[in-house]
Amino acid sequence: MLAYDPSTNPLNNNDWAFPLLEIIHILGFAFSIGTIAIVDLRLLGLALPRQSPAQLLRDTAPWTLIGLAVMLMSGPLIFSSDPNMYLYNSAFRFKMGALLTAIVYNYTIHRKIAMADSSSGMGKLVGGVSLLLWISIVFAGLFIAFV
Amino acid sequence: MFAIFQWLQGTEIATALRESAYMYPIVMALHLTGMAIFGGLILMTDLRLLGIVLRGATISEVVGQFRIWKRVGLALVAGCGILLAWAKAEQYYGNPYFWLKMTFLLLVGVHALVFRRSVYRNTAKLDNLKVMPSQVKWAAGFSLCLWIGLVSAGRLIGYYEPKP
Repeated sequence: MLAYDPSTNPLNNNDWAFPLLEIIHILGFAFSIGTIAIVDLRLLGLALPRQSPAQLLRDTAPWTLIGLAVMLMSGPLIFSSDPNMYLYNSAFRFKMGALLTAIVYNYTIHRKIAMADSSSGMGKLVGGVSLLLWISIVFAGLFIAFV
Repeated sequence: MFAIFQWLQGTEIATALRESAYMYPIVMALHLTGMAIFGGLILMTDLRLLGIVLRGATISEVVGQFRIWKRVGLALVAGCGILLAWAKAEQYYGNPYFWLKMTFLLLVGVHALVFRRSVYRNTAKLDNLKVMPSQVKWAAGFSLCLWIGLVSAGRLIGYYEPKP
């Protein structure tokens, strides 16, 4: 499908490159998803009630972005090690769909509701959906190796 | 010691988990999910101690209110981690990265004991200080390094191949 031979990829010719990339990927998602989860916990009314969701969002946003950037740089590199396997992997396909949804959601609806300091049912719904979306991405990522 | 690990791997639960098509990856995914949530809380607590984020919240608030969620995260991560190690105890025994990870875990415990009095149970006093004592910054810096090391060692467990 692609005029590309993965065996020429340096990632496949070095014992350490791939595991190190995965470690960077894991740290990237721990930072991004972890910081998003803090805002979600607040929206759900489960932590830091004296801080407003808007304030928490502003404080965590740069770290979320750094984590996302790390994840979005290491992810495609991991993909490049074996594109055909990933493209036909159902868990990978689900993950890409969920990831796109989660990123758009995070910077539109999630952001809007958090900035509006809504601690009502709407805030809970938006925070809960956010947590579930991101957790589903972690699950799908892991299942790539098992489907 | 090896006999204990061998016996662990031979138990019914270990065999069932290891051979189940879905349970093993699900437990692993939960281990990762816990890591993501727990990791964010640790990062934010440490960055708060360093005075970089959440400056609108007092240290007492951040440490105190994240504590319960950190415990939930830790319980999830450790619970799943024990199951994963249990299922493959015999292989893990000979895996140097497993022992590296356990060393990091031990150091995390030492870290908690060392800084408990001066930092984590001393937040009310820290709230009133304008400049953080250096041990607070050391506590945060060490914490970040230890957890990053622990995660890295954990990932490498899966890549170790025993020499034939």
